[in-house]
Amino acid sequence: MTALSALPLRTIVSAIGDAAARWCDADFPPRVRATSGIVERTGYAMPAVEYALDALFGAIRSDAIFETIRRELGDPARLDGAAAPIYPLGRVAILSSRTTIGVAIPAMCFALAAKNDVLVKDREDALVSAFARTLAEELDAFADALEVAAWDGARDAARLHDVDLIVAFGKDETIARITADNAGGARTIGFGSRTSLGFLDEAAQRDDRALDAALAGAARDASLYEGEGCMSPHALFIERSAARTPNEIAERFARAMESAATEFPVGQRSAASRAAMLQARNLAAFRAAAGRGGAWCDDALTYLLLLDPPELEPPPFLPRTVALIPVPSFDELLRYVERHALPIESLGVTGTGRIDTERAARIGAARIAALGEMQRPPLQAHHGGRLRIAEYVRFLDRDGEPE
Amino acid sequence: MSREREAADLDERILATIDAWHRHGRSPSDAEFDDLALAIFAHQLRYNAAYAAYCAGYGFSPNALPASWRAIPPLPARAYKEAAIAAFPIERAELVFESSGTTLGDPSRQYVEDRRLYDAALLAAFERAMLPEGERLRYLLLVPNPAQRTHSSLGYMMGRVAAAFGDGETGWYLDEDRLLVDAFMADAGDACDRERPVCLAATAFSLLHLVETLEERGATMRLPARSRIMETGGFKGRTRVVARDELYARVERALGVPSERIIAEYGMSELCSQYYDRPGSERSIAGTTHRVKTAPPWLRARALDERERDLPPGSVGALVHIDLANRSSCLALLTEDLGALVDDGIVLLGRESGAQLRGCSLDAEDLRRS
Repeated sequence: MTALSALPLRTIVSAIGDAAARWCDADFPPRVRATSGIVERTGYAMPAVEYALDALFGAIRSDAIFETIRRELGDPARLDGAAAPIYPLGRVAILSSRTTIGVAIPAMCFALAAKNDVLVKDREDALVSAFARTLAEELDAFADALEVAAWDGARDAARLHDVDLIVAFGKDETIARITADNAGGARTIGFGSRTSLGFLDEAAQRDDRALDAALAGAARDASLYEGEGCMSPHALFIERSAARTPNEIAERFARAMESAATEFPVGQRSAASRAAMLQARNLAAFRAAAGRGGAWCDDALTYLLLLDPPELEPPPFLPRTVALIPVPSFDELLRYVERHALPIESLGVTGTGRIDTERAARIGAARIAALGEMQRPPLQAHHGGRLRIAEYVRFLDRDGEPE
Repeated sequence: MSREREAADLDERILATIDAWHRHGRSPSDAEFDDLALAIFAHQLRYNAAYAAYCAGYGFSPNALPASWRAIPPLPARAYKEAAIAAFPIERAELVFESSGTTLGDPSRQYVEDRRLYDAALLAAFERAMLPEGERLRYLLLVPNPAQRTHSSLGYMMGRVAAAFGDGETGWYLDEDRLLVDAFMADAGDACDRERPVCLAATAFSLLHLVETLEERGATMRLPARSRIMETGGFKGRTRVVARDELYARVERALGVPSERIIAEYGMSELCSQYYDRPGSERSIAGTTHRVKTAPPWLRARALDERERDLPPGSVGALVHIDLANRSSCLALLTEDLGALVDDGIVLLGRESGAQLRGCSLDAEDLRRS
């Protein structure tokens, strides 16, 4: 038995949706306090943090949770013990380290919706703790079902001994260590390092307005969270077009990046990031002087666009830095991903893109999104290509009875 | 004036600058440094086509020079991997150095037209930094052997140093990547028996490997008094990293050489000159303490922000080196190293790592490894 197992699913999901709705209000005092903490932890500018919280909590709606349950588990009544019942796993631990904003929260909501007891490792900004308090205000039982704590992975590993599932977001090596140190033997689901790419098809380049809209979207996707998210595009592949030169697209994209910097001002950057951007810009300038590609940026190096870098060079994992890679077709993007063994989360495309799921699947992408929407995944989206709620339940089949 | 004549004249001026410091401790004044740096820059604009094209983007040409050496455009180090950075026909190079391990395409190559410049710069700086007692040491070298790695700048450097300052019994203890511990132990033991102070030169990784092997064997030795160790190279490309303080403490226990006699050299294949630690010169920068690295007076540093502006002393930025001995390649190098200027040198903070990609969940190193 878990703290939530006797409660109707609708009660649980409604409480989650109601709590998230309160967090959609930018003036909700706990959100205001958490926002300051997130700004301090991440160094991102306030508008980017506000955008992230709007996207995060705006997606956590009760109808979206029910829709996910229907997609993955069938009739939601099964979680309430109806025919072919589905049971919570028991106790789920959710760990996140070195991640962007609120990554653990959707996973936590789904684990709770599956009626599990949930333990969450919180970050320095205490965002999850604050949201947990709102959940408990909406439904008392969450106070028993949900434990949120900040802890040190090495020191507090014993906390994980009695859990049935560990969900870990973070560096690949951190996830490997958690898996290796897992003395309790619980199954571990890791969400490790991934990146995203964009593809600007030839058709989208025919019309100025359509092109600028696509580039504005790509600029927003690349600028949010300083390009640090797994949904941040680090390379934009430009299908060669008779209508535009790559240089013209780079110039238009540069203007879009400047506009994005107005909407989402640059956050704090480390000396290492600044130095790496300077090195990348000057190297691109050197290549341009030798007749290959070019660099587009402003004086302050707010952003950096690198046109036509060498094929052997991996994407520039630097703040607001995007490689612009002219290609004859989408097939070249496939080769690029293969060459650099990139784990892909999202592929950004335009409305006129002809990217079928078959080809996106070949690069290992978990999601195809419109440029401009890459940073706003719907709640139902399979983060990392995985199921959202089905991982948190167990099935009990009776022979001879169909599901 | 022909290119050859101009190059020869410049080389004589640079050699004179090096010699004046080496023999008499005389450093060029700011005006003298500026004058020579700008003369070399003008030469490179005339004869180094790749660098000249890059500098055109800054608005510089042989007819439009900057006002000061500080405005000489620094060439990113990776450019050396992508083009021949040379102010002379490279088939005439007397020396060609290549960077060690590279993950992207070709290695970095530095072409040196006249080895006299390279030799003079390295010997002068080494003697000042490593041999203050003026004694001939026995050189025990855990660095690439130039007989095997003909394009290793470190191997060449130590070969020249041992020939110039050694006792004639130099030993090399790296066979390709294999450390010849037994041969080292035998020769070091002989030096101990004969009380011949040694200079042990090693990459940080080789030094760690040696110490670990000695620890595993339970072996320790006390190298003769006045022995020195030159450590270089850090742990580039290695998965195992040990803090320098810990490494030096273990070296002291295993070999009996006190940490103040262990000097870290900082150089790179793209430069003809080197920095050396000054023991006892620790400075706290960005919350951590580091030894100050000092340069010979023909080598100066800048620390830049992202707008390519000079940072004030103590502020961490991208390190640029202006090396007058790089006459035949490019005298201003934008490195991938982070550091800060201090009043008597630089503090090196390590290699820029780029963005800390956090995502859900991103890390640049993870992605580059995968």
